[in-house]
Amino acid sequence: MDDGDQDYIFFGTPIEREEELSGRKRKMAAEAGQMRSLPPWKQEVRDDEGRKRFHGAFTGGFSAGYYNTVGSKEGWTPQTFTSSRKNRAEMKEQTIYNFLDDDEKVELEGRSLGMTSQFDTFGFTTAEVARKQVEKEQQKRPSAIPGPVPDEIVVPAPNSIGIKLLLKMGWRHGRSIGAGPTNLHDTRREARKAFLAFSCNEERSRHMESRPNEHGYLDSEETIPAAAAEPSICQSTPEFVRHPKRDIHGLGYDPYKHAPEFRESKRLRGRDTTNVMRSKGAGVTENIFGSRSRKIAPGIGIGALEELDVEDEDIYASGFDFEETPIEVEEPMKSTKEKKQSVNKKDVTIPGFRLASVTNFQPERFLPPVVPSDFEPHHKFPVQLEGDLNISDAPPLEVPPPEDNELKRMIDGMATLVARCGRAFEYLSRERNEGNPLFSFLCGGDSEEYYRRRLWEEQRKHSDQLKLPLQKKSTTTQKMSAESRGRLLGERPLERGSDSSNVSVPAADVVRIQSILSDTFTKPASLLEVAQTEKPFKNDPAKQERFEQFLKDKYHGGLRSTNSGGMSELHRAQERLDFEAAAETIEKGGLKKVTADQLTDSSFNAGTRFTSGGIEKLDIQRHKPNQDERTGNRSCPKREEYQWRPAPILCKRFDLLDPFAGKPPPLPRIRSKMDSFILISHPVHDIKDTAPAASKNPPSEILPEFSETNEPAQETAPEPNVSTVQKPVDLYKAIFSDDSDDENNDSSVSQIDSKKTEVVNTTLNRLIAGDFLESLGKELGLEVPRGSFDSMPNNNVVASGKEHKGLADVRSLSEHDGSMRPGSKITPSATMEIVKQQENVAGIRTVTSSGDICELQPPTISQSSKSHAIESGNSRDMNLNKSLDCDKSSCKFFEHFIFKSEKEKRKTRDNKSRGHKRHGQRSCTSDTDSSDCEDQRDQSSSETKREKKGHGKRRKHSKNRKKRRKTSRSSSPSSDAEWVHTEYKRDKISGRQGTEIISSPSDRHSKYYHDDQHKEKFEESITKFCTKELSFARLSASVLASLQERLNPIRRGLMISNTWSQISSTLHRHGATFEAHAIAFDNEAGDFETLQ
Amino acid sequence: MAVSDVPSKEASVLRGHEGAVLAARFNGDGNYCLSCGKDRTIRLWNPHRGIHIKTYKSHGREVRDVHVTRDNSKLCSCGGDRQIFYWDVSTGRVIRKFRGHDSEVNSVKFNEYGASIISAGYDRSVRAWDCRSHSTEPIQTIDTFSDSVMSICLTKTEIIAGSVDGTIRTFDIRVGREVVDDFGQPVNCICISNDSNCVLASCLDSTLRLLDRSTGELLQEYKGHTCKSYKMDCCFTNTDAYVTSGSEDGQIFFWDLVDASVMSSFRAHASVVTSVSYHPKDSCMITSSVDGTIRVWKT
Repeated sequence: MDDGDQDYIFFGTPIEREEELSGRKRKMAAEAGQMRSLPPWKQEVRDDEGRKRFHGAFTGGFSAGYYNTVGSKEGWTPQTFTSSRKNRAEMKEQTIYNFLDDDEKVELEGRSLGMTSQFDTFGFTTAEVARKQVEKEQQKRPSAIPGPVPDEIVVPAPNSIGIKLLLKMGWRHGRSIGAGPTNLHDTRREARKAFLAFSCNEERSRHMESRPNEHGYLDSEETIPAAAAEPSICQSTPEFVRHPKRDIHGLGYDPYKHAPEFRESKRLRGRDTTNVMRSKGAGVTENIFGSRSRKIAPGIGIGALEELDVEDEDIYASGFDFEETPIEVEEPMKSTKEKKQSVNKKDVTIPGFRLASVTNFQPERFLPPVVPSDFEPHHKFPVQLEGDLNISDAPPLEVPPPEDNELKRMIDGMATLVARCGRAFEYLSRERNEGNPLFSFLCGGDSEEYYRRRLWEEQRKHSDQLKLPLQKKSTTTQKMSAESRGRLLGERPLERGSDSSNVSVPAADVVRIQSILSDTFTKPASLLEVAQTEKPFKNDPAKQERFEQFLKDKYHGGLRSTNSGGMSELHRAQERLDFEAAAETIEKGGLKKVTADQLTDSSFNAGTRFTSGGIEKLDIQRHKPNQDERTGNRSCPKREEYQWRPAPILCKRFDLLDPFAGKPPPLPRIRSKMDSFILISHPVHDIKDTAPAASKNPPSEILPEFSETNEPAQETAPEPNVSTVQKPVDLYKAIFSDDSDDENNDSSVSQIDSKKTEVVNTTLNRLIAGDFLESLGKELGLEVPRGSFDSMPNNNVVASGKEHKGLADVRSLSEHDGSMRPGSKITPSATMEIVKQQENVAGIRTVTSSGDICELQPPTISQSSKSHAIESGNSRDMNLNKSLDCDKSSCKFFEHFIFKSEKEKRKTRDNKSRGHKRHGQRSCTSDTDSSDCEDQRDQSSSETKREKKGHGKRRKHSKNRKKRRKTSRSSSPSSDAEWVHTEYKRDKISGRQGTEIISSPSDRHSKYYHDDQHKEKFEESITKFCTKELSFARLSASVLASLQERLNPIRRGLMISNTWSQISSTLHRHGATFEAHAIAFDNEAGDFETLQ
Repeated sequence: MAVSDVPSKEASVLRGHEGAVLAARFNGDGNYCLSCGKDRTIRLWNPHRGIHIKTYKSHGREVRDVHVTRDNSKLCSCGGDRQIFYWDVSTGRVIRKFRGHDSEVNSVKFNEYGASIISAGYDRSVRAWDCRSHSTEPIQTIDTFSDSVMSICLTKTEIIAGSVDGTIRTFDIRVGREVVDDFGQPVNCICISNDSNCVLASCLDSTLRLLDRSTGELLQEYKGHTCKSYKMDCCFTNTDAYVTSGSEDGQIFFWDLVDASVMSSFRAHASVVTSVSYHPKDSCMITSSVDGTIRVWKT
């Protein structure tokens, strides 16, 4: 067999035997037939090796691994997942193409519809293709602009050039190319346009137009012979074209279903509106070819077979722009017109009615009023008219003008007016100003003669002017024209010389003219004018001359004429003064506008025309001064000065000394409102810092030196605070004040402001006292009619009266305190100082009544010392729940009293032990305290300040109070907003006071303990206190509620005795919890005592 | 009275700006001049020889004003891009850009020592910038104006600014005082006299007004030109004898300082004269115009 094998030579490919096929293949081949016979969902996909590729979701899916399925050696990784920490998975836009195979994509591409370029008449597909092409190219080539070129830049031509050309020629989409239809269309359109233009012009034409419309359609087709070319079109006009839907109802909706009577009127109106619309749309249709406007006259002029094209689209829409619906407005008028037409034509009647043949309706007519037979249609004035006055009357005597300049001006003005307007004017004004003493000259007053004289002069002048044009007609036309032009322009007419009755002195004129002629071109216009018009010394021609010379000298410089004219030196000096004064008045009242021709004109005609007309000139000027003054004021700049603070670095850069160096920083402007909202945790450290600094000072130091030696400590402390100064003020200002309020900081602010703040302060103090009392009463379990505060009548007087009572109580308390503690008298002064400083800083002018503060001092101090402790607690627990806040505040009152009484105890001891020796020093420490306090205040944010106020109740009731105050102050002129502002200010002040007062005692305490050990203990106790306080705060609300129930308010006028035993005994009554705390406090109080 | 001492002969024309030239300024000693314009460039010229020396390009929008320090080492410029550029003259590089104006900056000036820049902007503020430190924050912002601040002048101790709200405000750094002179007319440009006793204000009612700085008195008004809508400069001559300003019709006007008479007026440019600058010592003037040219005038 083997040998035989070697002998054979094989050609070709051996046919594989069945046996040699792999079993798998065989199997596949065998199954293939079977599979095909199965329904598709039962068939399995195998690869060419016959392996099963898809296993189903639960048996491995596209079995992972690159041998069997998709993916790579690493397996299939989801596209959206990136494991890198740095490369955060960016959101990828997924399209279906991401999940498709290539063949599928091809398939999908094939499915998207598009025209081949062959049939792409309109170029849309071309455009699409072009765009794609551009995109592709864009991606390939490197571009100056990174990223894909936006489509806006590369826009493929929307139309092929052929189409463009066709469009230019008048062809439109959807039309076949050919002369006929286009021509028809165009002619039709032209005709329509013409018709519209025609109809717009006249109503009659509209009427004509509407008639064919009644037949159902289209005017143009009827009127234009071209329509005859397509008779078939007309015949087959479908219904919807004949009655296009012009309303905005839904399809098929018939608003007149149950009221068919109105259909007709509606139809009429509708037709009318279409007319309107058409006349409106005419403009639109004309340029519609260019702009594809959607505002198209609905259904007008559309023939039956006219297709909807660009210009006719939107047939069935209402077609009315909402702006373009004057239809409703015009309706009544139109409809009545329409009705008239229809009535005339007698072709419109409401169904069910017919026109009456006889009407008995007659419109009511009113006859015009009967003119009395004796009525003359001319009004007669009881005096003669202007012309009647005989000018040749003997002139009244010349009378010196009245002393009163005002009156003189008045008379002059009146005379001019009367001369111009006739005597009627005089009469009228006399009638009108019957009782006016100013016009007494009209009806026989003391200066009537002067008036008469002036009037006569004016009339003379006026008549001269009237005559003059007549005379002038014969003379040169040039002058005439200039003059008439001046008259037309309303220029001041030039004075004319009259005949022999001329009062003026020719010599003066001559001189003046000469002077004018000599320097017409150099003299300042205004002065020239003045010189021409003003003759203050016309009585004395020589003097006038001198005056003019003086003027000339004054304004032109040059040598002064030494010709004294035989006057003494004294006289000359006197005259000079006169001249100066006169020149000044002239300058002020002088006319500014004078035209060159007037000047030249006047100089030309000088000989004949110059008169003594100074008076008239004056008169005319009378009208001017007001204007001139006004313009003068306007042109004269107003000067104001403010303080301005250059930045220190600016001064440095300008190499100047800072004028404000070392002075307190100014009110920072509101930079950002957000700044003010930033809460700054309260600086407990500061207190700690300043306390040792203060305590380091030996107590035996002399007073003035004390503050000086303390300086380093002070300097260190304020540094960090500067930035936060006044933040809350800013906040409130930003919210509640306008700029004017800011400006109020200037010195220009007023006593009103100070008054306001005074009121504010007193009320505030009252309120503090009231709150204090109220809470005190509560604590003591005594009765106070709650209404005394809450249901307080709106009347402020009553309230204040009551509160005064409260104040009295407090005062008694304070006196009590004072007796126990002589040093307390110092505190008010210190606080006053603080308040003053506040004022300086905040710019709020508070005039505090020192009495109030003094009286309130002891309670506030005690409150504050307590709240000082609280604030340190708060700094730790700022995020206390608000609901707790309320409880907390009531708790504070307990503590407050506990602490207070404890402190008082301590103080009495203190006083006993130290005696009067320390009082002096305390007074000086309080001074330093004040600075410390400021620091504290600075650092505290508005929130903490509020906390620090230590008037928990205050806050609780603040709403009520505000309301109350508002109503009580409703009579005050300030607006609500303003008021709120002041309210906030007030709150601020109180907060400040609180702070100030707060820290001073604590510091004082700290000073009591000279050595650090004691101080530490004190601080420790304070922190303890704070923790306790917090525990208080967390007391359940229910306990407190029950407590409050039991704590009925005390009656007013109750004697407040504040011994520890009494308060603690009251506390003992209120359950075990409080008792425990009370004991704890008792112990603490003992601690304090032992400390001392 | 002699009109001959008014520079009215065109010595040279400096061309190079594309578009309107918005400002042209002599440097401290008058040997060079700077111009800036709508083409976003600043150009340095020698006006006496009529040659262009350097171009400074970095502004993103039009450059409205430029100023140079006394030692000619630094430039500052401002414009529509809301920034103030602080340039090195010789290298042409921007040393610093000061951002902070909320709007276009109209005018900019160095102070006496070139240590700080004061700028005035459309945002109604005047800001001072520090050239010595690296801070780009303004060292002071003055925002008491109620309208766009158009022009700024500095003395050794004062900042004077004119605003469209009709006021000229003088901020005296030494005294810490702000003096407000309210003209009631929008102030376009202010210029301080060489003896620094007066301020000349170009108002938009086509009037130049001369203000006595110490008293706040209006000394004189100069009329005749047109200035209604453009920001146009005005200036004193080197001797303070005349006052000069451009006009919107392309003319240049010279008034006598004292009696306000028009001494001379001639057509200088084809279009609005935006800026005039007078040589500090000689009788020489440069004017710039919307027509894109800068002209040098000599007697």
